[in-house]
Amino acid sequence: MSAAVGGHSLDLSCPPDDVTAVHTFLEHVWGTEPSVSAEDRMALELALVELASNVIEHGATGTGVSCTLRLDVGADAVEANLVDDGVPVPVDPSAARLPDALAESGRGLALVQMVVDDLQYERVGDHNRWTVRRGRH
Amino acid sequence: MDIVVHEADPDVAVLECSGRLNMVSAPTFRETVARVVDNGRSHVVVELSGVEFMDSSGLGALVGCLKTARQSGGDLRIAAPSDQVEMVLKLSNMDKILRTYPDGDAAVTDWG
Repeated sequence: MSAAVGGHSLDLSCPPDDVTAVHTFLEHVWGTEPSVSAEDRMALELALVELASNVIEHGATGTGVSCTLRLDVGADAVEANLVDDGVPVPVDPSAARLPDALAESGRGLALVQMVVDDLQYERVGDHNRWTVRRGRH
Repeated sequence: MDIVVHEADPDVAVLECSGRLNMVSAPTFRETVARVVDNGRSHVVVELSGVEFMDSSGLGALVGCLKTARQSGGDLRIAAPSDQVEMVLKLSNMDKILRTYPDGDAAVTDWG
């Protein structure tokens, strides 16, 4: 359990949890971190809900998926990571591109790329680890 | 999210949406539009001023509903996007595909 100043975390077990928990968690975080600008909040909420949606949609095994979201609000940047026990991710997130205009899926990671300064994915043991960093504006 | 359906004209419906359009609400949103179109209202306006959050799941649902409306000879327009929704539309270049109007009334005016 991290006791770092400005550190926040959320454990999710899906099902029954869904991305509503991420929205609620972020509302709470912003309440305790009033210096984070509206622009940064909007960007980070989009990025983190997209990542959590991907984990829930694609990472689940037969029994669902559990994940932990950690967010650190620093003076210059906000860093977050999402660790889940789902199946390995067969894509290179840095290669994510917007699909055809009339596609009904496949935009999530491309949008995340656009609203953060750095997006990393690694497989660590039997977990997936997504890390994002956004410089504060 | 909450969706209130206003049956504006015999072939026009305005869906006043509020809350979040994400992977939780997207299926209900798609079903609502499909039902409205099935019932003969293929010209659909999605009024978004009360939607404080939309993500790629929401965008995908809008694209799916646009196709549903067009397949029935109609169209789908969006009205009054919030700052967050506008950001997502612009980032995804979907502001070129989904015509946006300042409000629901403006969106229905040239559908006679």
